[in-house]
Amino acid sequence: MNTCLSFVPSNTECDFERIGKLQNRMNNRVPSICPERAEIVTRSFQETEGEAIVVRRAKALHKILEEMTIYIEEDSLIFGNQASVNFAASIFPEYSFEWVIKELDEFSSRSGDYFEITEETKARLRPLESYWKGKTHAEEVLHNLPEINRQAERQGVLHRGGISMSGDGHVIPNHDFVLEVGFGGMARIAEKKLQNPDLTQEQKDYYEASIIAMNGALKYIKRFGKLAMEKSQKETDEKRKQELRDMSKACENLMEGKAKSFYEAVETVYLTHLLMMIESNGHSFSFGRFDQYIYPYYQADLEAGVLTKEKALEILTHFFIMTNSLNKVRPWGHTQYSGGYPLYSNLMVGGMKPDGTDGTNDISYLCLEAMNQSKLPEPNLSVRYSKDTPDDLLKDSAMLIRQGFGMPSLFCDEVVIPAMMTLDLELETARDYASMGCVETAIPGKWGHRATGMTYINFGKIFELILNNGMDPKTGIQLLSITGKEGRDAAYESYDKLWEAWEKALRFYSDLAVDCDLVCDRALKHHDADAFASSTIDCSLERGKTLKNGGSEYDFISQSNIGPSVVGDSLYAVKKLVFDEQVLTLKKLQEVLDANFEGAEGAQVRKLCRAVPKFGNDNNEVDEIVANVYESYLALLPNYRTDRHGRGPKGCRYTMSTSNITSYVPNGFDVGATPDGRLAGKPLNEGASPCLGADREGPTAVINSISKLPNDRMAGGQLLNMRFSPGALAGEENLEKFINFIKVARFKNVFHNQFNIADGETLRDAKAHPEDHVDLMVRVAGYCALFSTLMPEAQDAIIERTEHQW
Amino acid sequence: METRGLVSKIQRYSTKDGPGIRSTVFLVGCNLRCAWCANPEAMFPDKKVMFHQNLCKRCGACVEAADNHAIQLTTKGCEIDRDACTNLATLADVCPYNAYENIGTVVGAEELVERLLRDRAFYDVSKGGVTFSGGEPCLQNEFLEKVVRILKAEGIHVAIDTAGLWSFDQVWPILEMSDLILLDIKAMDAYIHQLCTGTDNRIILENARNIAEKGKKIWVRMVIVPTMNDDLPDIKRRLDFIKELGDSVERIDLLKYHALGIGKYEALGVKYPLSGIGECDEGLIQEILAYASRIGLSIRFG
Repeated sequence: MNTCLSFVPSNTECDFERIGKLQNRMNNRVPSICPERAEIVTRSFQETEGEAIVVRRAKALHKILEEMTIYIEEDSLIFGNQASVNFAASIFPEYSFEWVIKELDEFSSRSGDYFEITEETKARLRPLESYWKGKTHAEEVLHNLPEINRQAERQGVLHRGGISMSGDGHVIPNHDFVLEVGFGGMARIAEKKLQNPDLTQEQKDYYEASIIAMNGALKYIKRFGKLAMEKSQKETDEKRKQELRDMSKACENLMEGKAKSFYEAVETVYLTHLLMMIESNGHSFSFGRFDQYIYPYYQADLEAGVLTKEKALEILTHFFIMTNSLNKVRPWGHTQYSGGYPLYSNLMVGGMKPDGTDGTNDISYLCLEAMNQSKLPEPNLSVRYSKDTPDDLLKDSAMLIRQGFGMPSLFCDEVVIPAMMTLDLELETARDYASMGCVETAIPGKWGHRATGMTYINFGKIFELILNNGMDPKTGIQLLSITGKEGRDAAYESYDKLWEAWEKALRFYSDLAVDCDLVCDRALKHHDADAFASSTIDCSLERGKTLKNGGSEYDFISQSNIGPSVVGDSLYAVKKLVFDEQVLTLKKLQEVLDANFEGAEGAQVRKLCRAVPKFGNDNNEVDEIVANVYESYLALLPNYRTDRHGRGPKGCRYTMSTSNITSYVPNGFDVGATPDGRLAGKPLNEGASPCLGADREGPTAVINSISKLPNDRMAGGQLLNMRFSPGALAGEENLEKFINFIKVARFKNVFHNQFNIADGETLRDAKAHPEDHVDLMVRVAGYCALFSTLMPEAQDAIIERTEHQW
Repeated sequence: METRGLVSKIQRYSTKDGPGIRSTVFLVGCNLRCAWCANPEAMFPDKKVMFHQNLCKRCGACVEAADNHAIQLTTKGCEIDRDACTNLATLADVCPYNAYENIGTVVGAEELVERLLRDRAFYDVSKGGVTFSGGEPCLQNEFLEKVVRILKAEGIHVAIDTAGLWSFDQVWPILEMSDLILLDIKAMDAYIHQLCTGTDNRIILENARNIAEKGKKIWVRMVIVPTMNDDLPDIKRRLDFIKELGDSVERIDLLKYHALGIGKYEALGVKYPLSGIGECDEGLIQEILAYASRIGLSIRFG
């Protein structure tokens, strides 16, 4: 067993050896492709032609849940499976299918995120293609996407995110509600609503679909009841036999109504999560403030004497481990944006309650301990903290962080809550925020759309374009001209002119990105009409609308903005070298950039570029320019509305986020050499973090630089990722210092921080000898992944991140 | 004229030089020549030029720029005749790959304080502060006194990391203002001390006693270097001496020798005085800890 954090087991009810077995099995899990769901959904859709889409999707879900292979993971107290075997990815042909068929033979030979696939599976998938041709979400998006957007994508400025080819995901159910009424209760609400004679067709369809989906879920549970009984009869181990019997008994009426115990509550949370992931292939389905809604069930069982803390830990750890049995396959092009099989199932603990008092409880600690025992990439564990957070919780967090697998990530209430307030929320509502996916923030049960990761905007590329008067040197495509003339010559006379060009180009491409969002959202309205997930969100059942058509209480989205630090550093380098000190002409600089700094002269210019101060070193001048880059984007946001505007949800506006997963790596591929000294094709900066290796003044300087950004207006989530050497946290004293370092964020306007604790040597060795580092987990962006599963370029980007050591 | 000092480096989030999160300022120049010194760039006086062989791409730019043909391009990279090269300090600008690095920045007291105060929130929350190290920081006593005075006026915790070889009357005003003295005790035997550091330890020990007598808080640091100052009887005498210093000594750290500074010697073109010395013997460490405990001293190790 792994050494515990602050938890001291006082009985043997938590079987650590069994956890070790489960964990080991999950560590060595094999990713594969499962064709079952694709086959069933295809058959179902063939049967329901002509019916309303929301009903068709619900019927398909119902059929899948009735027919799919189910199994109970050996040793596990938590049941429920997404595909026919552990860690197999289902196929969701209704969203996009062309790429699946195209990449069938490549899944098993990918350089990162590979999937095993049998010839039989291929043979089962191929025949489905003809049915889906012309019917998928991705095809509708492509059909409606304006030509100019395609051109912007070819330039490498815009990237259609997951929303253009898969479901949206990004749902944090109102778990309080789900646990209170159960799936059965939700069906009953829908039934009651259906009796209203004044319903619109949309509402009737929705309620009908909701009933079908919930009944499917209940049937799925009953199937497990039967299976558990069968298994218990064959089981020879007495303890396990009893567990299976208990499981079977629980399934008899699990979720017909309220969850009746801590175990049922945890199992239900897992099932709700899993069912949403069978319904749709979005990701970032998240658990929200787990410790807040689970605690009442825990406390009641403790008081009734039917649960011990140790048993609770065992159940929680099994639940944590089982979230790693789920999987998702993405096209290779998109995989590069999100390496490491991420599902971004964020689970949050700690922080203040809506009334402002501290919400830390036993479950907060037990979740940290469960992660300490499981040490797997999911769930994506996050901790909220404020001035009232007990030191003990921060200490457990720091001890976990010190182990070097990147969790938990930390959110500072004193910064995030004001950021959420910029969305005109009530203070009590803002205080209830949780992280959804990576670092994007949402209010659990009230959001119905992704808070970040709509269309990706490559800031680095936009900067390259303005240096070239809007023309992309690589493709020759020019969609706007800064000077009004054709061609690459921009010849800015002053820094102010360069800045104006940045603002102009940013606006141009942001408008296009919003257009892309709208195209995707309108298609999702149809293709992602998901009755099950929608019913778990406030207002959806009341209004009779799916999330995608305005069912949620609030609606705020953001795109993903990649490379603000590269842009700021580059602007500053041009300002200093070309305009202030005039050691270089713009023309010369451009020549050198075109040649990727090659040759003696190029090397000399690159030296000048690199010597200009960079963001992340607490230099006011450059930090201010990076902050200006943020401001230039924030200033555009009031102009934009989401597709749901006027349909029910409050808000329907945009906010900003730098949560951009691994996109900073592939986005860098498209950007030529930049004036900050970055070579062509190299990664951009990750999130709000300084450029790779640019921060030379230590971690306090990084925090100081970050503090100058408008973090308290980044309601979509701000990402900072730091790497410390293991020695920097070794021993009690250093741990204490690190805890204080974390605490300072409260005074320094730091939204979020996450840490990799690994030395360069270990990472380099892991790249060379993956077999020796199977369990080396790293913080990639807003999530953790096993290092060995990342593509080489993403591995390099992590290695190049400045290691703060002493 | 403004008082200015010569600083080799400011280490932020420094965790080894006193309580809490600190910034450590390394001042250039030392009057000891400890054979094991890990900061040779701060030990020798004046600004220096480091040559980082690993960054050299053998482009020849420095060969061309160096006067007196002082640099030869060999198969191993650039070979520098430092005595002949009178324009070495200009090569940092010449080399496109930053293989040459100028060490040592002249900085004014106010400017230094402004930079140090940027991490004030970290000092405040962690009960940390600023440590002056080196080299021997007290050699730049006028500058140091001014900087410490401003920091204390700002309410910052100040520690002085010193080897103790200076005139007490000259340095005491600085120490008096400071909150903590990090004091090295390298050897008791004058001959061993001479051998290790190039100088006698009479004044050092006297200053140590004086600081203790004045009631200033001290953290003693003892580095044990195999073949240099690892004579057990002498180490025991060091511990006895520390014991005599009484309650002023708040903490004692036993430090193992490491050879991490060796690369800096190479970069400076200076011979590393020690070679092939391994880590301190674990048995010896145990004996030291046992003796300390016997005489009632609590030592931190590791």
